Amino acid sequence: MDITTGSTFLSPDTIQQAVSVLRDLDGAGVPLAGATWISRAATRCETPPGTYVSLAGIASLHEIHIDARQVSIGSLATHAGIAEALTGCKDLQALAMAAGMSATPAIRRVATIGGNICTTAFAPADLVPPLLVLDAEVEIQGSGGTAILPVAEFMSQRRDRAPSDLVCRIIIPRPARRSAHARLTLRKAGEYPVAHVSIAVATDALDRIAEAAIAVGSVEATARRWPALEAAIVGLAPDPAEMKQVAVAHLKDFTGRDAVDAPGWYRERVLPGLVARAFQALADSEGGAS
Amino acid sequence: MSVTLTVNGEERTFDGDLRLPLADMLRDQLRLTGTKTVCREGFCGACTVHVDGEPMVSCLIPMGTLAGRSVVTIEGVAGGGAQMNAVQRTLLEHDVVQCGMCFPGMVMTLSACLEKNHAPTREALKAELSGNICRCTGYERILDAVLSISGQEGAVK
Repeated sequence: MDITTGSTFLSPDTIQQAVSVLRDLDGAGVPLAGATWISRAATRCETPPGTYVSLAGIASLHEIHIDARQVSIGSLATHAGIAEALTGCKDLQALAMAAGMSATPAIRRVATIGGNICTTAFAPADLVPPLLVLDAEVEIQGSGGTAILPVAEFMSQRRDRAPSDLVCRIIIPRPARRSAHARLTLRKAGEYPVAHVSIAVATDALDRIAEAAIAVGSVEATARRWPALEAAIVGLAPDPAEMKQVAVAHLKDFTGRDAVDAPGWYRERVLPGLVARAFQALADSEGGAS
Repeated sequence: MSVTLTVNGEERTFDGDLRLPLADMLRDQLRLTGTKTVCREGFCGACTVHVDGEPMVSCLIPMGTLAGRSVVTIEGVAGGGAQMNAVQRTLLEHDVVQCGMCFPGMVMTLSACLEKNHAPTREALKAELSGNICRCTGYERILDAVLSISGQEGAVK
């Protein structure tokens, strides 16, 4: 590792070096993944952290491994890389779709999954809803060793974790299920979503929903599951129109956030339509690669 | 600390603040002002350059991440000392350029697109250009111009 005392940019070669440097900086440094969020700080009149600790030189953080049992995605895997690697995996389609539709092509080549889940002020983070419905886990390495925790738990405690805790990879199990994602932007592309919905379902022999996971992002400050709707659709056929009607009955479960791009009530009101679109995407994927 | 990278085929060493965005180094130190800084948040695409052959927004790339990498700007995209590549020529011939602020980024995105796919569809071009915003809203004529060279052998040369 090339370290100069007082440097504002460090490039550790290993996870252990990165953890050590972040521990020593004690909050005065920030792990740098794709840099797409932190690089906007000056434009937004925000104070950037003193030192960037670039993770780009740590090879293992870029890797994606897929087998029949699980998928392991390094925290520096880009949105474009994830979308390409998961193409054709129907159980993981929600994540592939979200990664392939986020931001713009140029941003997708740089932005990372680690940055997406670690950026605390980023309500519309594209990859969080699919990770929630796919029961993803986050592997963290820090001064205290290695920890693996569900992504929902990580999201709730990420602000309070030690500065040296480093998200190293995302682990996604692969039970028999199918998934999809739907996203609403004010323009067709190149914007953060007003709201987005991920779904993952397992169906029985009669094509009725046996298990369901639904997550909503960008509506509230942090993406989360929609347990009441998940319970309500078990036993039903995954018909988009019917799913929309059921979702309407559970809209009170969310309190939309007001922001410059859309008011809170609007984010809530579009959710049933997005649920229908996600189920339609699921239906459209029937007959494709498995 | 310093980083050494290649810009338009020439080796360059940068020894300033490695948090500096690539766009600022290109414009302020190398005087490659064809790369435009407009939104500085990655939304508009006016600062698009090629990094290792891929279009990326240079306003969001800290210099410290570029050691050993190859950067090509609008000034070098034609390559080999040529004045323009085929994308630039067709945009000129079809009189597409309006205010010109977005065009360096447009050219970089479209050149890389045609390099990978010599015969893109209109929809594919639209998808590729979704990160390049034209405030003059001349999108359809840009697409017409590029589609006129689509499918030609060596379309971007």
